[in-house]
Amino acid sequence: MLFSSIHFLFVFLPITMLVYYLVPYKLKNFVMLIASLLFYAWGEPVYVILMILSILFNYVMGKDISERQDNLDKKKQSLIFAVVVNLLILGFFKYYGFLMDTINAIFPFKITYRQLPLPVGISFYTFQALSYVVDVYKGEVKSQKNLLQFALYIAMFPQLIAGPIVRYIDIEAQLAKRQIHITKIGQGAMYFIRGFAKKILIADTLGSVFVEILDMKLGTYSILTAWLGCISYAFQIYFDFSGYSDMAIGLGKMFGFEFKQNFHYPYISLSVSEFWRRWHISLSTWFREYVYIPLGGNRDGNGKTVRNLLIVWMLTGLWHGAAWNFLIWGFYYGVILVLEKFIWGRAMERWMPIVRRIYTLAVILFGWVLFFSPSLGYAVRYMGSMLGIGAEGLIDKQTMFYVTSNWLWYVVAFLGASPIGYTLIKQVQKVPTSRLGRQILSVGLYMGIFFIALAFLVTESFQPFLYFRF
Amino acid sequence: MMKIKMIAKQLTKPEVLKYIIAGIILIYIVILLIFTSGSTKSFSEVRKKVEKAISQEELQQESGQKFKRYYGLNSADYEGVMLYSAKSSMSAEEILLVKTKTDEQVKEVERAIEKRLEKRMLDFEGYAPEQVRMLEQAQISVRGKFVLCVVSPEVSVYVTAFSKAL
Repeated sequence: MLFSSIHFLFVFLPITMLVYYLVPYKLKNFVMLIASLLFYAWGEPVYVILMILSILFNYVMGKDISERQDNLDKKKQSLIFAVVVNLLILGFFKYYGFLMDTINAIFPFKITYRQLPLPVGISFYTFQALSYVVDVYKGEVKSQKNLLQFALYIAMFPQLIAGPIVRYIDIEAQLAKRQIHITKIGQGAMYFIRGFAKKILIADTLGSVFVEILDMKLGTYSILTAWLGCISYAFQIYFDFSGYSDMAIGLGKMFGFEFKQNFHYPYISLSVSEFWRRWHISLSTWFREYVYIPLGGNRDGNGKTVRNLLIVWMLTGLWHGAAWNFLIWGFYYGVILVLEKFIWGRAMERWMPIVRRIYTLAVILFGWVLFFSPSLGYAVRYMGSMLGIGAEGLIDKQTMFYVTSNWLWYVVAFLGASPIGYTLIKQVQKVPTSRLGRQILSVGLYMGIFFIALAFLVTESFQPFLYFRF
Repeated sequence: MMKIKMIAKQLTKPEVLKYIIAGIILIYIVILLIFTSGSTKSFSEVRKKVEKAISQEELQQESGQKFKRYYGLNSADYEGVMLYSAKSSMSAEEILLVKTKTDEQVKEVERAIEKRLEKRMLDFEGYAPEQVRMLEQAQISVRGKFVLCVVSPEVSVYVTAFSKAL
C-alpha cells in the first residue's frame, strides 16, 4: 500500500489511528503491529511471510548473541551467522539475477534461471535487523526480550518500505514507552502533508518532464534540454524520497514515535561530502557505523582510508540496485569523496560559495545521469549531450516548451529544495497577531496544500515512489 | 548417539531455534522458486511446451490482430504472444500466453485480461450459463514476466504445463 493512495489516506490510516487511539496503552503496540503486517501484506501477500521469518530469526539471534556474552568466540560466531543469513537472503532476492546475467554475459553459454520479484522494503528492514544484531553484539543495546516490540521495530509501517533506516538504539526506549499527545499528532500531520505535497505536486510533475525527455531519442534534442531532463530528475528524486521520509516521520509522530531527519536540504551543500551528510542521512549513518568504522575508518593511514571509502561507496551503489550503473555510481562518489578529502578539499574552502555550489551541483547532476540511465552506454551518451557532444544545438523548441509550461513548478522546486520555501511558509503563518489566528491560518494553509495535492492525485496518472525498488 | 545427545544438551534454546528458523527460510525460498517464480527461458521455449497441452481440434491459433481486437494490446510491444480461441462461437474457451518486456507491462496485461473476461461473461450471460461458469473459473497465472490466462474446462492441465515449462 502506498502513502499516496486513496485506500491509505481514507481507509487504512483513519481506521488504524482510530483503533490505536481508542485502545488501552498496553495494546497500542499490538494494534500497530497488526496494522503494519496488513499494510505490507496488501502489496506483498506472499513476502509478508518472509518478513515475519526475518523478524523471528533476528529476534532469536539477538537472544543468542546476548546469551554468549561470556564467550567472545561463540558470540562472534553467532554474529557472523546472523550477518551471513541476513545478507544471503538480501543477496538472493536482490543480486541473484544480476549475478546470473553477468555470468551469461561473460561466458558463451546461457544459463536459464528462475526469477523472483524483489520483496518491497527488504533492503530497509534487513539493514534495520543488521543494526540490531550488531549493536547487541557490541553491547550497545540489550537484546529485546519482548517479541512484540521487536516485531514492531522491524515491521513498523511508517518506515517499513522506504525508510528512513531506523537504528534500534534510537528507538529502543520508544518501543516500550512513548508519548502521544495532540501537539505531536498535529506536528505529525503537518510533516505528512508537506511530504505528500512534495511527492504529488513536485516530484510527480517534474518526473513527467523527465520521463518525456528520457523517452526522446538521444541526439535529437539540445544541450539545455539534456540539462533540463537531468535537473528534473534531480528534483523528482529529491522530492519523491524526502517526501516519503517526511510522510514517514509525520506518521511516526502521529503514533508517538520520533524518527531522525533523513534529508536536510542536500542541494544547498558546499561540497559533495556535505551533500552526503544531508542526503539519505540514515543510509550514510548506517554505512559509516556498520561498514566504514569496522573496516578501520580513517584510523589506519591514507591508503586504508581510500580503500575503506571506495568499499563503502561501491556498497552504497550496490545497495541501490543490482546493476552495473549503480556500482559505477557508487564508485564515482567514492572517487569524488577521496579527491575532496585528500586533493582539493582544503583548496575548496577558499573558493567563493557560489563556485562551490556550482561544482557540487555539477558533480551531483552528472551522478544522477549514471543513476537514472538504463545502461552505461546511454549514460555516457547522455552526459555527452549535456556537454554538447551529439546534441542538437544549445537550445531548441522543446527546451522552451518544457520551461514555459512548467516554470512555476521549477520555481516551487527551487524554493522547496532550499530553506527559503519553508521559511516563507513560516513567515506566512506568523502574519496573524493572535495565537488563534495563527492556528486557524496554519490549519487552512495545510488543508489547502493537502486538497490541492489530493486533486492532483485523483486526476494525474499514478506514479509509485522511486525508492520502492531499492 | 551419545555424542549427539551431549551436543543437544549443550545447545541453548535460541541456538536450536536459529537453525530451525534458518531452515524454514530456506524451505520457504525453495517453495517460492517452485510455485511462484518466473523464468529467463525464451518465449518460444515456454510456448512450445504449453502448446503441446492445447487441443488443436477445438481451439485455433489467432493472429496479432485478433489479440489487439480482444485485448486492446499490440503484440509487437511484448516479447511474445500466443493466443488460442475456440473454433466454435458457442464456446468461450481461450488460452493466452504473453511474455512481457518489462515488469510494468505485467499489470497492463492483467488488466486487459480482466476486461476481456468481463466482456465475455456479458456475451454469454443469459443463454450459455455453463460458459459463464467456465469464465468465472478462468485462471490468470503470473510468473515473472510470463502471464497465462486459461478459460477452459481443463484449467489445471494448462497451468501444470505452464508451470513445468518455466
